[in-house]
Amino acid sequence: MAEYCRPAELGEALDLLAGGGWRILAGGTDLYPANAARDRLPGAVLDITGLDGLDGIGKQDGFWRIGAATRWSSLIGADLPPAFDGLKQAAAQIGAVQVQNMATIGGNLCNASPAADGVPVLLGLDARIEMASARGYREMPLAEFITGVRRTALAPDEIVTAVRIPDPGPAARSHFLKLGTRSYLVISIAMVHVMLIADPPGRVADARIAIGACSPVACRLSALERELIGHPFDTSLADRVREEHFAPLSPIDDVRATAAYRLEAAREMTRRAIAAIVAGGGRR
Amino acid sequence: MPTVTMTVNGKQVSADIDPRTLLADFIRVNLDLTGTHIGCDTSQCGACTILVNGDAVKSCTMLAVQADGAEVTTIEGLAENGEMHPMQAAFKEHHGLQCGFCTPGMVMSAIDLVKRHPNPDEATIREELDGNICRCTGYHNIVKAVKAAADATGG
Amino acid sequence: MRGGDDMPAAAIEGGVRQSVAHDSAPLHVSGRARYVDDIPVPAGTLEAYIAQSDIAHGRIVRLDLSAVRAAPGVVDVLTARDIPGRNNVGPVLADDPVFADGEVHFMGQPVFAVIARDIAAARAAASRAVIEYERLPAILTVDEALAAKSHVLEPAEMRRGDAASALKAARHRLEGRIYIGGQDHFYLEGQVALAIPGDGGDMLVHSSTQHPSEVQHLVAGVLGLADHAVTVEVRRMGGGFGGKETQPALFAAIAALGAWRTGCAVKLRLDRDDDMIMTGKRHDFRIDYDVGFDDTGRIVALELMQAARCGYSADLSGAIADRAMFHADNAYYLENVHITSYRCRTNTVSNTAFRGFGGPQGMVGMERIIDHIARHLNLDPLTVRRRNFYDRDGRDITPYGMRVRDNVIRSIVDELAERAGYERRRKEIEGFNAASPVIKRGLALTPVKFGISFTTTHLNQAGALLHLYADGSLHLNHGGTEMGQGLFTKVAQIVAEELQVDIGRIRITATNTGKVPNTSATAASSGSDLNGKAAQNAARKIKGRLIDFAARHFGCTAEQVRFLPNRVVAGNHAVSFDELANLAYLARVPLSATGFYRTPKIHYDRKAARGRPFYYFAYGAAISEVEIDTLTGENRVRRVDILHDVGRSLNPALDRGQIEGGFIQGMGWLTMEELCWSDDGRLLTHAPSTYKIPACGDRPDILNIDLLDNENSENAVHRSKAVGEPPLMLAISVLSALNDAVAAANPKAPLLDAPATPERILMTLNDGGGC
Repeated sequence: MAEYCRPAELGEALDLLAGGGWRILAGGTDLYPANAARDRLPGAVLDITGLDGLDGIGKQDGFWRIGAATRWSSLIGADLPPAFDGLKQAAAQIGAVQVQNMATIGGNLCNASPAADGVPVLLGLDARIEMASARGYREMPLAEFITGVRRTALAPDEIVTAVRIPDPGPAARSHFLKLGTRSYLVISIAMVHVMLIADPPGRVADARIAIGACSPVACRLSALERELIGHPFDTSLADRVREEHFAPLSPIDDVRATAAYRLEAAREMTRRAIAAIVAGGGRR
Repeated sequence: MPTVTMTVNGKQVSADIDPRTLLADFIRVNLDLTGTHIGCDTSQCGACTILVNGDAVKSCTMLAVQADGAEVTTIEGLAENGEMHPMQAAFKEHHGLQCGFCTPGMVMSAIDLVKRHPNPDEATIREELDGNICRCTGYHNIVKAVKAAADATGG
Repeated sequence: MRGGDDMPAAAIEGGVRQSVAHDSAPLHVSGRARYVDDIPVPAGTLEAYIAQSDIAHGRIVRLDLSAVRAAPGVVDVLTARDIPGRNNVGPVLADDPVFADGEVHFMGQPVFAVIARDIAAARAAASRAVIEYERLPAILTVDEALAAKSHVLEPAEMRRGDAASALKAARHRLEGRIYIGGQDHFYLEGQVALAIPGDGGDMLVHSSTQHPSEVQHLVAGVLGLADHAVTVEVRRMGGGFGGKETQPALFAAIAALGAWRTGCAVKLRLDRDDDMIMTGKRHDFRIDYDVGFDDTGRIVALELMQAARCGYSADLSGAIADRAMFHADNAYYLENVHITSYRCRTNTVSNTAFRGFGGPQGMVGMERIIDHIARHLNLDPLTVRRRNFYDRDGRDITPYGMRVRDNVIRSIVDELAERAGYERRRKEIEGFNAASPVIKRGLALTPVKFGISFTTTHLNQAGALLHLYADGSLHLNHGGTEMGQGLFTKVAQIVAEELQVDIGRIRITATNTGKVPNTSATAASSGSDLNGKAAQNAARKIKGRLIDFAARHFGCTAEQVRFLPNRVVAGNHAVSFDELANLAYLARVPLSATGFYRTPKIHYDRKAARGRPFYYFAYGAAISEVEIDTLTGENRVRRVDILHDVGRSLNPALDRGQIEGGFIQGMGWLTMEELCWSDDGRLLTHAPSTYKIPACGDRPDILNIDLLDNENSENAVHRSKAVGEPPLMLAISVLSALNDAVAAANPKAPLLDAPATPERILMTLNDGGGC
C-alpha cells in the first residue's frame, strides 16, 4: 500500500477517486481477512470513515436514509419502526460485537459477497443505493446494484453514500433467520428475510421474501410473494410455501454446506419466518 | 510515511509508520504492548480485542492510521494505581483462564459488554462474547467471571 | 525464634488439594504473561517465512530461487541443500524432512524458507520462486489408502479368544462402519520459534513446545551439532492439546538454521492459515465392525478393523493407532475379539497427537457398536452398556491382558444415573418427543476408561531441579511444560506440601533443557504424575538433608524434626523455615537437588500385544441431553452431567477446568469441527471462518460437573489421577444422544458419522435405510 488517505470532505474524496487507483476502505472487516497480511493489502487506500455526514439514519420524503458509513452497532441501537426488525436481527448476527462496531452497511453491500447478511434484508425492503462521484449523484435499486459474486455496478470513481428505503409503513412486520454450523459467529449457509403487511380485514396486503447465500446474488421469491398476497394473515399462511417457489435459487456445494442442504434449509426457514411474523401479530 | 498520533492507555503516542501497519502490530511492535495477542490474523478469534474510543474492536481488522486521533485502551491500561480492574480481578478469582492467550481480548470484550449491559444475565453474556474464542476453558468460568465483575461494579 | 512446638500451626497457603489459582493468572489478566512472540528480541532479529508445496504429490523438476534471493529485504534463502546436518525432524522415524528434497508428499509441505528483515519482505520474496513439478498420483483418503495398501507402518493386530467362531455361533450379528473426522488443535497461539545464536556455536531456541528435549535433539541434528550445543526454553504455550508435541520441531529447526547461517536471531511465527495447512491434526478414522451378541445385548464376539489416516509420514501414528486399539474396548469386556489396525499413508499433512491420542477414536467406535446393538434389540443403550461393563468375576481382563483393578465403572455410572435422574428424564423425553413433531430430544450416558502412561514404556520418566536459597525461597524446575493446564501450579503445590512452605516462596521457572535433560513430552495426561513425583523426590532430598542438619544442629534425633507450616520444630527448638535454610547454608549443607521418577509396574510386549501398558485407568461418565431440529438439522446440547474420577484431586479448580474444557473440545470434535479437503488434496478449512470450534454460545445450557470421591489405588502422586485427556471422551455422550434424537424422529435412519454437523444430521434423518 503506497498511499493512504482519509479525507474529511466528500468532495475531496471524490476528486481523489476521479484520479483513479484507489481501493475504498470503510470498516475494513472484509478487506483484511481477504488480505490476511499487511503485504497483501491493496496499493492505495481511501478511508471514507472520516467523511462528514456519511453515517447516520434519518427519514425524508417518504424514504428512510441510512448513511453508507453507518456501523451495524449504530443500526442495532437506532429507533426504527417494526419493518426494520429483520434488519436489526441481521445486524446483530454480523460477525460479533467487535465487527459490528467497525463494519458498515455500505461496505456489506459493496463487497457483494453471496453470504453478505445485509443484502437479502435490504433487497426485501426494496432498498435503493445512492452513489456519488465527481460527475454527480445517481441512484439505483439494490437488485441492479449487485451484478454478481463480489461485483457491483459501482464505477471506479464512485462511492456509495447512502441506502434509501421507501417507508414500508407502520403495519409492516419483518423477520430474519440465518442458518449456520453453530449458534454464533458463522458465515451463513442460508438466510431468509420476510416482510409482510396485513390489511385491516386481516389479509396479506404485501409480501416480500428474499433469500441469501443460495444463489450468486441474494434474490426475491416473487412467485411466493404473489402466492401469499390476499390470503388470510393467520397460522395457515406458512403452509402456502411450496417447493416450486424456490426455483429462482441456485445454491452451490462448498466447504460450508451442500446445495441440497442449503435449499432444504431455505424452505424451512422461510416457513418459520412467515410463522414468526404471524405469531407476533400483523398489527400491534 | 504518514504520522499517526493517538492516546494509548492515557498517554499520547506519535509515530511515522508504514500506512499498511495494522493497529495490532503498531501496539505490539511500536509500543511494545504485547498483551494484545494475535490469534488468527483474520478478525475471527478476538484475542486482539482492544477498546477504540470506548468500543471493542479487533485490532487486526484496523489500520493504525485509522486510529489517528483516537483514544485507545489495551489490557495494559486497565489497572489503576496498581489495582486491577474488577474484570481482571474476576477472571483471576474465578479461574476464567487456562493458557491465558485469549484472556486479554476476552477481558476487553467483557468490559465493553458490561458497559452496554450493566446487568447481564448468563444468556446475554454468552451471546455477547461470541466474538472471542477460547480453546481451553469451555467458557463456563469466563461467563462466571463476567457475571461476578458486573455484579461487583454494581451495574 | 526458639520455643516449644505448641505454637498454632496454621496450614500453608497453596498445599495440595487446594483450589489454588493458576500461577500465571495475575500475568494473564494484565497482559504481562510472555509468550514466545512477546519476548523482546535482540536488535537485528530477522523473520522467516516458509514456502510450501502447492501440489499433493510430485517431483520437483525445477526450483529457481534466484528472484527470491534478489528480492528486497532478503538475507538468506534456505533449502534442503543448506542443511549442515540431517534433513529430518521426524520424532520416531527419519521420514519428516525439514525441506522437501526432490519430492513433495503433501500440499503445504515446506520447500524452502526465506529469511528477511521482516515477515512481509520474506513472504513477498517467496512468491517470486519458480517451482515446477512433475505430478504424481496422490492418495488422499483412508478408503483410497486401504485399497492401495498404502501404509506408513505395518498393520498391527490384537486378539483374544476366537472371534471368528464365536461370531458364527452368536445369536445376533451386526456389521457396520463409522467414519470419524479429524480435528485441528486450534491452540490460540500458533506455532512459533525464536532462535538466538550464542557463543561458539551455541543456539538458544525459544519454542512453543510440549517437548523441549525433542526440539533440542532435532534442532541439533539439523545443525549437525551435539545436543549440548542447543538449549530450548519454554515458559508457557498458548495452548497445546498435542499439537505442540512433535510439530514445533520443524519451525524451531528452520528458525535455528536461519540463525546459524546468518548469525542473527530469527523468529518464525506462522499465521493461522499456514498453521492449519502445515501442521498435523487428529487422525480421522474408518472403523468397521462385525459384532455378535446375545438377546440381552451382551457382546460375545467382535471383529474390528480400525484404519487411521496418518498422512505422509509416521510421526507418532504408531503409538496413536496403538492407543486406539487399547481403547477399542472402552469400558466393556470383550471375550472374543480380534482387532486389526491399519496405519494409512496418504498425501496429506502428517497427522499427530491430539488430546486422547487415538483413544477417543477407539472409544467412539465401541460406543457406536453399543448404540447399534441397542437399536437392533430395541433396548435402552444404557442397558446394553451395563450388560457389557468390566466386572470382577473374571470379566476384568482387557484384550491385551491387563487386569482392570480399581474397576469403578459400574459405581460411577450408577451414581451418575441416579444423581442426574436418567430414568425419569428418559421418560420425560419420550413424552416430549411424542408431542413434538419437529424438535426431538435425545439422551445418552457413556462411560470413559482411559489408560494412563505412555505406552512406549521408556517415556515414563521425569526429572526435576530444586534450589533452596539461603533466604528460604525456592527455585523450582522440571521437565514438564505449561500450556494452560496448570501443571506448574500443581507441581509447586506438591513441593509446598512436602516442605510445608507457602507456595509463594516457590519460584516457578521456565522449562529449559539446560536445567533438566532428557525429558519426555508433556503429554499422555502424565505431566503431574511424572513431574510431580520427580519434584517431590527433589524436595524430599533437600528435606532429608535439612532434617539431618537440624538434628545435628539442635541436638535431637531425626525423628524429632518436624516440618510444620513455614517452620521447623527440632526437639525443643523451633525455627522458621527461612532461618533453617540460612543455618543450613552457613553449615555448608548442599541445598540444591535433582529429582527423578520412573513409573513402576508397567511393561508391554508390542509384538505379542500383551502386558500392562498402563499404570492405572482414569474413569468418568457423562449424560448428555440434546435437541435437534428435524427440519434443519440444527442442534444444541441442553444439559450435561459429568461424574469424573481424578483420584484425590491435587487442585479441584484446575481439575474441573480440565474436565469442562476437555468436554467442550470433544463436543466440538464430534459435532461441528469439520475438516474438508478438495479433490486435489488442498485443505479448504484453514481458517476460523470455515473451521468452527465451539464459541461461548455453544456451551450446554446446563453443565454439572462432580468429582468422584475416590483415591488412586496405585501410588500416584498424593493418590491423584491424571486429568488432561480423559474428559475429552465424555463428549461421546453427545454423539450418542444425537443418535438417540435422530432415532426418535426416524427409527430407520442410520447411525451418525462424526462430526454430526447440522447438515449430516439432516441428511441422516432423510436417509431411510438401515445402519
